[in-house]
Amino acid sequence: MDTNAMQTSLAPQRAEFWDSERDDTLVCLDVHQETHDVKSFTFASPAGKHFAFQAGQYFLFDFAMGAETESRCYSISSSPQRTNAFTVTVKRVANGKVSNWLHDNMAVGTTVKAQGPLGHFVRPSTARKFLLLSGGSGITPVMSILRDCGDTCRPTDIVFMHAARTPRDLIFREELSNLAVRMKTVRLHFLPEVVTGEPSWSGLTGRISAEFMKLAVPDIAGRTVMCCGPAPFMAAARTIAGDLGVPSSSYIEESFDAAVIDENEIAAPEVPIGKVYQVEFSKQARKIEVADEQTILSCAKKAGVRIPSSCANGVCGTCKSKLVSGSVDMKHNGGIRQREIDAGLFLPCCSKPLSDLVIER
Amino acid sequence: MLQTFASSISSLLDSRADGHSLPAGLYIRDDVFEADLDVFFRKHWICIGLDCDVPEPGDATVVDIGNSSLIILRDDDNQIRVVHNVCRHRGARILDAGSTVISKLVCPYHQWTYELDGTLAHAPHMGIDFDKSCKSLRPVNFKSIGGLIYACLSDNPPEDIDRLEQVMTERLAPYDIRNAKVAHQTDVIENGNWKLTMENNRECYHCSANHPELCVSFVDLDFGFDPEALSPEDLEEARQHEALYAERTRSWEADGFPSAAVEQLVDCATNFRTQRLIIAGAGESQTPDATAACSKLLGSMTRKDLGDTHLWGHNSWNHFMGDHAVVSIVIPLSAGKTLVRTKWLVHKDAIEGVDYDLQKLTDVWIATTDQDSELVGRAHAGALDPAYLPGPYSRFSETTLDKFATWYIDRMRANGY
Repeated sequence: MDTNAMQTSLAPQRAEFWDSERDDTLVCLDVHQETHDVKSFTFASPAGKHFAFQAGQYFLFDFAMGAETESRCYSISSSPQRTNAFTVTVKRVANGKVSNWLHDNMAVGTTVKAQGPLGHFVRPSTARKFLLLSGGSGITPVMSILRDCGDTCRPTDIVFMHAARTPRDLIFREELSNLAVRMKTVRLHFLPEVVTGEPSWSGLTGRISAEFMKLAVPDIAGRTVMCCGPAPFMAAARTIAGDLGVPSSSYIEESFDAAVIDENEIAAPEVPIGKVYQVEFSKQARKIEVADEQTILSCAKKAGVRIPSSCANGVCGTCKSKLVSGSVDMKHNGGIRQREIDAGLFLPCCSKPLSDLVIER
Repeated sequence: MLQTFASSISSLLDSRADGHSLPAGLYIRDDVFEADLDVFFRKHWICIGLDCDVPEPGDATVVDIGNSSLIILRDDDNQIRVVHNVCRHRGARILDAGSTVISKLVCPYHQWTYELDGTLAHAPHMGIDFDKSCKSLRPVNFKSIGGLIYACLSDNPPEDIDRLEQVMTERLAPYDIRNAKVAHQTDVIENGNWKLTMENNRECYHCSANHPELCVSFVDLDFGFDPEALSPEDLEEARQHEALYAERTRSWEADGFPSAAVEQLVDCATNFRTQRLIIAGAGESQTPDATAACSKLLGSMTRKDLGDTHLWGHNSWNHFMGDHAVVSIVIPLSAGKTLVRTKWLVHKDAIEGVDYDLQKLTDVWIATTDQDSELVGRAHAGALDPAYLPGPYSRFSETTLDKFATWYIDRMRANGY
């Protein structure tokens, strides 16, 4: 690390803390290449002030890019136990204005304007068991949380699950492996979607699913889930966790406008959601796509397909329809009888496709 | 002094002469029809169906009586329930006429959803503070007597159903009608007043001329005859038959099968008659050749020679035989239209085409019901004619009709008409 930039202020007499009301300038201390397209940038206060933040929070940066200023939020990836400087970790996104500028221009000594720390994606004080679930560059806030737990030596029961496109995209891969060894109460699960670039990858591959989650985190229902990643990844994760019994009160996700997601990471999710099926409504001559984590009714309604409905949770049976072909995963609440199911009827409001379907509607 | 009447119908009731059919107005007037519905179909016990109309949990069937619509259903605990087919939201009909399978009772209008015990489970958009507890579907008083469902739409049902219950529970036990199945059902709409339908059923004066199929197995003289009207040969046969009755009834009862006639036809609210009747010819069943139509006998029956346990109510007639049963209920539709719903019951495990032939099972009563429908239409058309005058009932073969008319007048008066 080049410390020249900070030599006058690295030894304060007593710790003075950064105050977002008064302070707004940061200086870059270090740039580190994490993966082929991810870099970490470490910032300090030129006045040598320390930073008090909670793991999971972010800073709002105003980058002066030539004539214009662009604002972006980036989650802190470093541990709050290291107070003199903090780190953000940024993925270079194709056509991403800010991420490309950062990767190409941010260097040691560069100053930037910023406000922070901000955000509420932090550990609830009462929670004891966690699933820290991240996709792609969504790893940054949960990495900060894990590092914080490691640094404070407070044993916390954590399952750390990180999904990425390939093994080469696993951010903090070695550090996480080391932490998982040192921290006795941490279990680590990497889930690359494909093994491209590393055919020797020995673990599972694919996308998050209820089946995978049941195997990897059998006690998920008793854990506080903290999730961060591209929007579709978070939507899929939320559905899976809900289906596996995680109450919404124990499910926390980093809000959309924060930190992690650069402009095109949304449009091009690096962890696509599960399989999509063709669902045909024979009487209306309509065909729609339904993902395996969506209910048929909700997609049908969005697509303007006509199905009478009321309760939307399998109680009233108003949407009862004939399933001509295909199979579904139905979780009803008494709105249909077994003999009706045996006769080929089902409730679209509480059924997710397991194959392409033809429905008599 | 000016005479005042309890109702516009009172003078008609007063004008009925003993031993004679009713004044025309009681058969044909719309105000009388409304009064009949009120008195005989709301304030008395009526037969509305059978346990085996809803054999499995989730089965439901709707029976309409006047402006009332009743849902008979079997809940998930295998209990029969009868509730009013009126949503507690804004009153819409929940189920359509006929039989259906339900998981819950859902009103098609706004999807208020009731459990099968009638409690309201789901009422969308009514607010989180909405109290569903007092919005159950309204229950109907009913009794299942030997598998026959009797209901009473009033809050004060007549207590003398007890006798019917006591007598028929015992008599119907061996037939296990609760575990029968409906092999066939017909709805015939007769062009006549419901009382003419009932009167026609309570005499067999018309049988020998009009019911050739029935008369193979059914003895018309069982319901009375004038000895003077019979040839010496027929009279001798009738006397022998009477003697046979005494003997057969004794032996049936000795074997543990109550058989003697029980009547509660006048001076009562609940009108019924039952008796184990001898089946003529082959003696087994009311079929074209009087032999059993179903090889698998009803319930715990092991004998085909136990005759025909007949049961009358004021809106029903029934015949329980070793191999099958025929049950009919009567629902007035208007002063001049009456629904006769007939069901043929066999053991629930009997298989059509294997254990029974549907045609053999149903032939006699399909023919008989059609013939009766024609006769009732004929009688009602006459009652509409200004030339109609009440006529005398036969003191030999129509005594029960005189009793029915007397009971009818009494019950109308007892209920304020």
